[in-house]
Order: sequence, then structure tokens, then C-alpha cells
Amino acid sequence: MVDPVQENNYESLVEEIYQMSHYDFVGIALQNSDALGQIKWRYVRGNTSQRYQRIVLRNGLGIAGLVLRTGQPFYDNDLNRKPQDFMYTPITVVEKLTSAAAIPLLSADHQQVTGVLLAGYRHGENVSHETISNLRYYLRRA
Amino acid sequence: MLEVSNWIMQNFSHASDAMLIFQDDQLLIMNDLAQNLLDQTDVDTNYLQQLVLTYLKRNSNESDDCFNCAIKNQLSDITIPLTINSDGKEPLSYSLIHRQLSSHENVYSITLKSADARERLDQLSVQHSLIQYINRAHEDERKQISEDLHDSIAQGIFTAIMGISRLVSQQTTASKTDFAQQGDLIQNQLREVLNEVKGMALDLRPSALDDLGLVPALKTLIQRLQENTGIQITFINRLKPDITIPNDIAIVIYRIAQEAMSNAIKHADTDEITLLLLTHDKGVSLEVIDTGKGFDVAKMNQPNGRSLGLLNMNERVKALNGVFTLESKIGEGTSVKVEFPVISAHLEVS
Repeated sequence: MVDPVQENNYESLVEEIYQMSHYDFVGIALQNSDALGQIKWRYVRGNTSQRYQRIVLRNGLGIAGLVLRTGQPFYDNDLNRKPQDFMYTPITVVEKLTSAAAIPLLSADHQQVTGVLLAGYRHGENVSHETISNLRYYLRRA
Repeated sequence: MLEVSNWIMQNFSHASDAMLIFQDDQLLIMNDLAQNLLDQTDVDTNYLQQLVLTYLKRNSNESDDCFNCAIKNQLSDITIPLTINSDGKEPLSYSLIHRQLSSHENVYSITLKSADARERLDQLSVQHSLIQYINRAHEDERKQISEDLHDSIAQGIFTAIMGISRLVSQQTTASKTDFAQQGDLIQNQLREVLNEVKGMALDLRPSALDDLGLVPALKTLIQRLQENTGIQITFINRLKPDITIPNDIAIVIYRIAQEAMSNAIKHADTDEITLLLLTHDKGVSLEVIDTGKGFDVAKMNQPNGRSLGLLNMNERVKALNGVFTLESKIGEGTSVKVEFPVISAHLEVS
């Protein structure tokens, strides 16, 4: 699904975004190449626990799930005001983010969503279309 | 006016509390229930008056070191707990209420309220809130299923339908590789929907519980919770292989594990949960331990959403002769434990 060269790039991309900007959390989730094809958070920076390692993303649930389902970017400034289904706690809940934006990672032919790049804040800072443009900018350069 | 007095009198005579009205030492009037009480027990009016008098004396004594004054001050009338026939076979608990009706004529009433009746009422009110809680939980569960169906399943199927219609419209123009790629995409989408449906079915009622038993069902639940929340859940299974847990008990143990873990996820702010399933001499026990925030167990005694959840767990366990214990300290985590006798005569019948 995701070639090794690209994976390397993703690792340094997360590092770069985290270093160059003020996001409290930056992460990339990618689809496993095994038969199950689960999507998990592979590279993260600014994490407060190791819980991200065990989470399997669910299509359509949470910001990252919406990006996976639609292939479109999403952002949300009201994360902690949403009623929560505690039986599924997406990364934004686990990492206590108050706002986050996410964009899709596409396969080479742009046909398939192979992952998600997500960045967010913990202390009420706003995200917007600009955040999405900013993430896209980093992704293009990677 | 005369009629109204008649009604009030009727109400007084047939009241569900025993009432007596005195002027000085003289009994002026009492209702039917008071008459019965005096007839059937060894209590007499003198004793009741003495009781009130000593209480009044004690209350006006300022040197009294009264540790429950805060409570007393909130009571407009004097209330005295009283047990009649305490040495007999059937002790009756009452609260005696003294009320001054006229101070310059020294007219006062003594009312005896049956504490048993009040306790029953309290129980009834807890039962009512419990039923409300269960109904609300049912409703919330339906809401959750409905939302999941809509957000996840319906949307997924819709996307797949769109994909197929695109495939159909492009079947003459698209290249073979494009066509195959599009087909793969739709297959992937439908596989995801299938996984979601399986997951939802599992959330509702694990078929493993009926087919494979408690332990595989718990393992599946734990895996799903780990994937959904990222919390590390350790399952220590020390169940003897030869023990067969009755189905009723297996279901309750499963539900308690589910509820306790969901509480830990919601409230404990923890990264780790441990499940302990053990066999004892005469039964099985399940313990769900988290190392999270913990809470003040005493404060959980007021009925609210969370305490009713605990009460509900407790009731389910009690119904199968089990014991439910909850330990928690702020900053030291929470442990929920249930124990069931498994080889008792009652359980073998069912």
C-alpha cells in the first residue's frame, strides 16, 4: 500500500511539522500492508501517552475517520464540547486535543486514501482552512 | 365550614400515622391508629410524654455536647427515634415527632411515623430512579446504534453504490486497469462496512458468549476495547478448566466486565486496566482494576448517573447470589470485584 521510501519521508515529515510549527500534536496514520488492512497511528510527535499505538482507526468516526471516509480534509475547533462515545476514543480524545485539522494521504495514482496527517492543539487555539493549507504545504514538500 | 371540619376530623382519625394531641398532661384526642398502638403494645401516653419532656430538657441544656446539632437545627419539630417492643419478637421502629400547637395553652401533638413504612418508601424511590436509569440507558444504547448505522454503515454502502454506478457508466470507456482498480476500491469499501457490521454485532451481544464461553468472549471484548481506546488491558485468566459457569452467571460477569471497563475508560483517565478471572473453592470471581484517578466511594451514595450504574451492577450480581464489592481511593485507582458461588444447590437447579 505505502512504499518504504514514502514511509521514511512520513517519519521525517511529522518531525519537521512538529519542530517548525506550534502544534501540540502531529501524527500520521497509515494502513497496514497485512490482510486486515487496519489503519493505525504510525508516526506521532507531542503524544502524552502510548495509547496511540493500540488505536485502530474507524472509518467515518472522528476527524481522521471522516478524512478516511471522504478523502477530504477536515478541521474542528470544538472537540472537547462534543458528546463522546466512550467506547470509541479517537486520537483527539486520547491526546486531549481541543482543536485539530487533518488531510488525507493519497496513493500515487490519487485513487485511494492510504492514510491521514493530523495536527492539533490542546489549549483552545483555533484551526481553520489555513491550517489545512499549511499541512498540505508540508506534505507537498515531503 | 362545619363540613370542612368534618373532613379534617375524618382525615385525622384515619391518618396513616398515629397522632395524639395533649394539653399539659391531659390527652385531648387521638386517632384510630394511636388507639390501636396503645391497645396492642405496652406503650402508654405517660411514657410518650416523658420521652418528649426529657428531649426538650436536653435540647435546652446549653452545655450539651451535641455532635449532630447541625442536623437537629434543620428539623422544625423535635424528632425522636423510638423502638417499641424492642425486647419482643417483632420490634417496631417509629420516629416520634413533637409539635407545639399553642404555646400559651401548652397544647402539643405527638405523631408516631412508622420507620418501616418510610424505609420502604425510600427503597421505592431508589427503585424508581433505577428503573429510570435503565430505561435511559436502553434509549442511549439505541441512539448509539442508530447513529453508528447511519454514520458508518449507511454512508459506507452509499459510497460503494456510487462507485458501482461510476463503474457501470464507464464500462465502455475505461481501460482494463482502471476498471480493475475501481473494482478493488469498491471491494475495500465493502470489506470495511462488513467489519463495522461485525463490530456492532459484537458490541450488542457477543455470539462467542453462547458458542465458545466466557473466556473467548472476554478476550474479544478486550481486543476491541484496546483497538478503540488505545488503553492497555491485561487479562489474567486463572479459571480452572473443569469448572462450568452457568450461563446466567457468565452473562453477568461479561456485562460487569464491560460496564466496569467502560467506567474506567470514561472516568478514570487511565492507560491500563487489568482483568482478573479466578476460581475459588466454591465459586468464581472477576476483578476489574484500574490505576486511574479513583473516586470517593462515600460520595457515590447519592443517586446520580454513575452511582445508579453501580447500583444496577450490584442488583444484577445479587440476583444470582453473588457479592459485588467496589473499592476506590482518590489517586489510587478503582477495583470492582464480583464473586459467585457456582456449585450451590440453587445454581445447579437452573
